[in-house]
Amino acid sequence: MAERSDVDLLEDLLARENRLLSAYEAALRREAIDVALGETLRDHEQEHARALEEALRHTGRRSPRASVPSHELTAALRSRASFARYAVDLEAKALASYAEAAAAIRNPRLRQPLGSIMACEAAHEVALRESLGDRSLVD
Amino acid sequence: MAPSLTRREALGGAAAALVLASCGGGGPPPSTGPPPGSGAALLGSLLALEHAVVAAYAACEEVLSGDTLRNTRAIAEQERAHVIKLQGLIRDLGGEPPPGRSAAEYARTFPRLREPGDALAFAEDLEQRQVRAYLEALAELPDLGLRSAAAEIGADEAVHLAAVRVLHGLPAAQGPFVTGAL
Repeated sequence: MAERSDVDLLEDLLARENRLLSAYEAALRREAIDVALGETLRDHEQEHARALEEALRHTGRRSPRASVPSHELTAALRSRASFARYAVDLEAKALASYAEAAAAIRNPRLRQPLGSIMACEAAHEVALRESLGDRSLVD
Repeated sequence: MAPSLTRREALGGAAAALVLASCGGGGPPPSTGPPPGSGAALLGSLLALEHAVVAAYAACEEVLSGDTLRNTRAIAEQERAHVIKLQGLIRDLGGEPPPGRSAAEYARTFPRLREPGDALAFAEDLEQRQVRAYLEALAELPDLGLRSAAAEIGADEAVHLAAVRVLHGLPAAQGPFVTGAL
């Protein structure tokens, strides 16, 4: 697989953050998530997106545009349980992307901060599993 | 504003600091083996911490029960897998993985765990230190393969930290950046 540039990695992460942000905003509007949990997760993703945009600005790149809501999101918004399962999947994918980027990014000063966001996404996954009543919090 | 610590954090932190001090790694560097800068020494420090954490979970299990015990056993199982992974990485670099200490030696450095809350506070602090150690390793390890392994294990530790917090009745996520910001 071809090596990806730092900008490519950051843009990919920002796209994932925007997807998560849209999902939590939609879930809050449709009452498909507990308000306190949804607001916390949304606020965290906003902070992550802001930090990534700032890092991208230093590279001279514009932030990627927001994407339209997916079919899967629309279907997931039917109930709290289906949304939580959908969000667990999104968070797991984000976690994997951050783990990859934190190791691969060439700028060593960005590795630890990306790891710090990775750790937050891991916590989101656990919080969503708890909201599903899952008694097994660790895979 | 000056940062403040709760009593629980202070107790857990002090106990975990003792555990860290007991991890070993303070001896002279080996005369043979991987060259300086290979990452082997850093991996050895992470391994020493993992050994101590495995012993700590065994101590915690004595005062835990039910779902909490089931979850901490699952965590301890993953910590044992991290030990094996790190041992393999160190050997691949031509090094000799540091052995762990005996259960009795570790036990002397652990706080007295009288109830589940003591065990979970201790576990939370150890997991926090592990997350921080792996994130610091990301910045220092010289090789992409080693950094990928550190990121993967660090992600596991972040899940453990969040799970322990939930088991302790705390929110899973403490903030948007677990140990620092971009």
